[in-house]
Amino acid sequence: MKTYMSDQEDQMTLEPQGEDAPVQDQSAVDALETVIEVDHVNFAYIPGTDVLKDISMNINKGEVTAFIGPSGCGKSTLLRCLNRMNDLIPKAGLTQGEIRILGTDIYHPEVDVIELRKHVGMVFQKYNPFPKSIYENVAYGLRIQGVNRKSVLDEAVESSLKLAGLWDEVKDRLDSSGLGLSGGQQQRLCIARTIAVQPKIILMDEPCSALDPISTTIIEELITQLKQEFTIVIVTHNMQQATRVSDRTAYFYLGELIEMDVTTKIFTNPSQQKTEEYISGRFG
Amino acid sequence: MSLNDEKKTPENEKDGRVVFRRKGFQFLGMGLQDYIRVFFGGNASLAIIVLILICLFLLREAAMFFPDHHQGLKSYRQGGQELVGYVSDEVDAHTKVYSSANIAYFAEVGRTSIHEDKQLRAYRTVLANVEQSTKYTWARLERYLDEAEDLNDDVEDLREDIEEASADAEADAEDLKKDQAELAEIEARLKQLEPLIAKEREQLEKEVQTALGTSRVWDLDIAARGLSDEELSMVREAVVFEAYPDAEDEHESIQNLKQVSRDKKAAEAERLADFKETLNGIRDSIRPMKSLYGEMKDISVANRREIDAFSTAPARRAALLAGVEQTDDPAEKERMQKQADEVVIVEPDYDAINEPLYALVPQHGELAGPLQDEMNKLFRQLPQEVETKSARENMKRAAVYYERFDNTVTNNRDRILDWRHDAPLSLWTSTTSFMFGKHWITNSSWHDFYGLLPLFTGSLLISIIALTVSVPFAVAAAIYVNQIARFKEQSFVKPAIEFIGAIPSVVLGFFGILVFGEALRNISQLEWLQWVPGFPMAERLTILNAGLLLAFMAVPTIFTLTEDALNNVPAAFSENSLALGATKLQTVFRVIVPTAVSGIIAAILLGFGRIIGETMVVLLVAGNKIKIPDFTEGLGVVAQPAHTMTGIIAQELGEVDSGSLHWRALFMVGMVLFVISLLVNWAAQRTLKRLQKI
Repeated sequence: MKTYMSDQEDQMTLEPQGEDAPVQDQSAVDALETVIEVDHVNFAYIPGTDVLKDISMNINKGEVTAFIGPSGCGKSTLLRCLNRMNDLIPKAGLTQGEIRILGTDIYHPEVDVIELRKHVGMVFQKYNPFPKSIYENVAYGLRIQGVNRKSVLDEAVESSLKLAGLWDEVKDRLDSSGLGLSGGQQQRLCIARTIAVQPKIILMDEPCSALDPISTTIIEELITQLKQEFTIVIVTHNMQQATRVSDRTAYFYLGELIEMDVTTKIFTNPSQQKTEEYISGRFG
Repeated sequence: MSLNDEKKTPENEKDGRVVFRRKGFQFLGMGLQDYIRVFFGGNASLAIIVLILICLFLLREAAMFFPDHHQGLKSYRQGGQELVGYVSDEVDAHTKVYSSANIAYFAEVGRTSIHEDKQLRAYRTVLANVEQSTKYTWARLERYLDEAEDLNDDVEDLREDIEEASADAEADAEDLKKDQAELAEIEARLKQLEPLIAKEREQLEKEVQTALGTSRVWDLDIAARGLSDEELSMVREAVVFEAYPDAEDEHESIQNLKQVSRDKKAAEAERLADFKETLNGIRDSIRPMKSLYGEMKDISVANRREIDAFSTAPARRAALLAGVEQTDDPAEKERMQKQADEVVIVEPDYDAINEPLYALVPQHGELAGPLQDEMNKLFRQLPQEVETKSARENMKRAAVYYERFDNTVTNNRDRILDWRHDAPLSLWTSTTSFMFGKHWITNSSWHDFYGLLPLFTGSLLISIIALTVSVPFAVAAAIYVNQIARFKEQSFVKPAIEFIGAIPSVVLGFFGILVFGEALRNISQLEWLQWVPGFPMAERLTILNAGLLLAFMAVPTIFTLTEDALNNVPAAFSENSLALGATKLQTVFRVIVPTAVSGIIAAILLGFGRIIGETMVVLLVAGNKIKIPDFTEGLGVVAQPAHTMTGIIAQELGEVDSGSLHWRALFMVGMVLFVISLLVNWAAQRTLKRLQKI
């Protein structure tokens, strides 16, 4: 039996990868294969005041994991720890514990954060295409890796846009500005941009909160499709959305992980009192 | 419900209904809010009204320039000056060829004696410095020595007299006695002088030694640098020898050097005898043309005087008559009245006054052809291969000037034949000769030219230098401070750069004259920098100097605006880019800078506006030479002085009669500047708007 630790392709490599790095395509994934291990993590923006307290969880390959909880509970913070976006904030950092992605401790001093982010993509709350053409937006991630062959780029742009369900809408105007699209389209463009670099994990930080209901539905459908190829972690305020898209749900409260389980169980039969209070709308 | 009813009821409620009535300060139907609004709105509109008034004033004064200018140009043609101008162009073009070749010749002659000349120059420099610091003692000593010499002469004379007198028994004993007394007196004085002279000599020696010990004295002229220690000690010896007023001849070594230098030059001159002969041929070839030019010039100057007298006559007469009205003194009144009556307003007969000029035209035709042929022959005789750098450059220049001379003469042939003093002058000419005129010559006894081109090229060249230097610096600094620098660096670098903007431009100009210009010139003399075009620079005040100082002034403007533009790029762009695995630098150069690029262009445009409108620095530093820079030197053109549009206004407006043509011409220059600034600002606003659309 093949375990992920023995599979070289799954190993996190610290060297930059070539343009033809193998695409991770294992449709028949073992649902219980762990790709992210969060191990007793404490995190502080200002040293001395931990906003994440002793978080431990495993996130499985090929699943959609939702983080829910009231504002300020630390769910976005944890998400941003997973691709070290919190490094941009001076003095912020883990104060305890380890986060392992694909078996590698990502806060190890030898880890190249640039390389990490190529494997762990992120989609933000506010869709934000660059002021470039649609084509250049999607190709950006590859261009910064030094890919400049037209044929490679064309192929990557087309497949990414197809995967993001945007290809049919924009294929005739790839050279027009990405800012000319509607909000939902722009968010899907951002998703296409993220998947163009072929990450293994996609982090989504409230990807639908700035969108109208119809666009939200489209994105949600997209997420369900994307989990065939990517492991997805999504932060959401919308509990219905969590039930619709996710396989597992983690409930956070005041920096602590209260409960994490299969989504249906969380929303029908939570084991914690606090979780039940939250999902039934008694607070939050 | 009427208004009166409301006023009677102090309560806000009436009949159970709320009445929304104004409360508080009321005057003439307006509340406090209204007055505050009027106050601020009034201030804003005042500024706009003043702006409009300024524009109108400028426009009115500038617009009047064209009819006056047209009149001037018409006189220039009617007096035949235009025709003479053509001939003068030919003579000037010829002079340029000759002088360039001549400089080349002398550079060649001095080729072998460079080292001797260098030592002589060092000797002269040091000697001058020493003399400067010992001049008082030197003067005292000289006075004593002169006195002593005079007295010694007297003593000799007296001694002779006394001897004669004693030999001659008939001589008057009384006289003898007197002479002896005088002799004694003089000898006493001489005795007195001796210690004084000795003292001064000692003092001078001390001073000379002290002076030679200071490094300032040895601050040699750049052309005299690079001597060996031996040669320097020779210079020292010669200077010590020469430093006393009673030094008869120069030191032997200096005399030798001079002789060697002379001999070497003579030898070179002999070798280059053909060159010299050709040069003399060139110099002489223009003689007939020059004398024809002189003849024609005299005629046209007289013509012009006549025309000017006619055109100013009514004004003169009016002024005299006004004087008659104002004076009370009857005698004065009568005198002025008489003068006014004497003013004759008779239009000159243009055909008649130009007749002598037309008569000379065929003569010019006879001279021009042979002159061209001879120059062609002589120019080919000039040596093609020259040894020194200066000679090579000047020969190259001479070739360009020769080409120009030849073209001028060829083009002028028909122009001179076809020239008519009464050819119509279109109104458009007064505009084109202003906008594209190559000369700005005022207060001239010949004709005043108001051509914008010399000023415009000066302004443009300086601006181009300033921009090419300041843009990379300022934009790079802004990118660094905004995107890369740590917070501590940011809080130091940003105010430091913005502080540059607080330096008064006149102070900067001062710095440019005293420190920067001299430093630049010294740098330009460095041996290993001689490949740079324009180096070595002869002048301190140059286009380059002004351009670099203006670059310094433009940095804070461009920096601040670029930084603002970068700041306006949403932080999310950077976050998105980093999340895609981009490095910081990739993010900066592929996302942030391209997003802010229109803001950066606007910053550069506003920087350009700042540069082209700057007055004080260019007035002080640019050298103020009203001439189109000589582009034959390629990029080296920046080593020349120039004048600018802003500078000329500041310099001349205070000194001209208001309402004169010159005055109006300056207003026109101001208008051109105004339009340029307007266009630049408009372009900047447009690009900024494009940025805001993102």
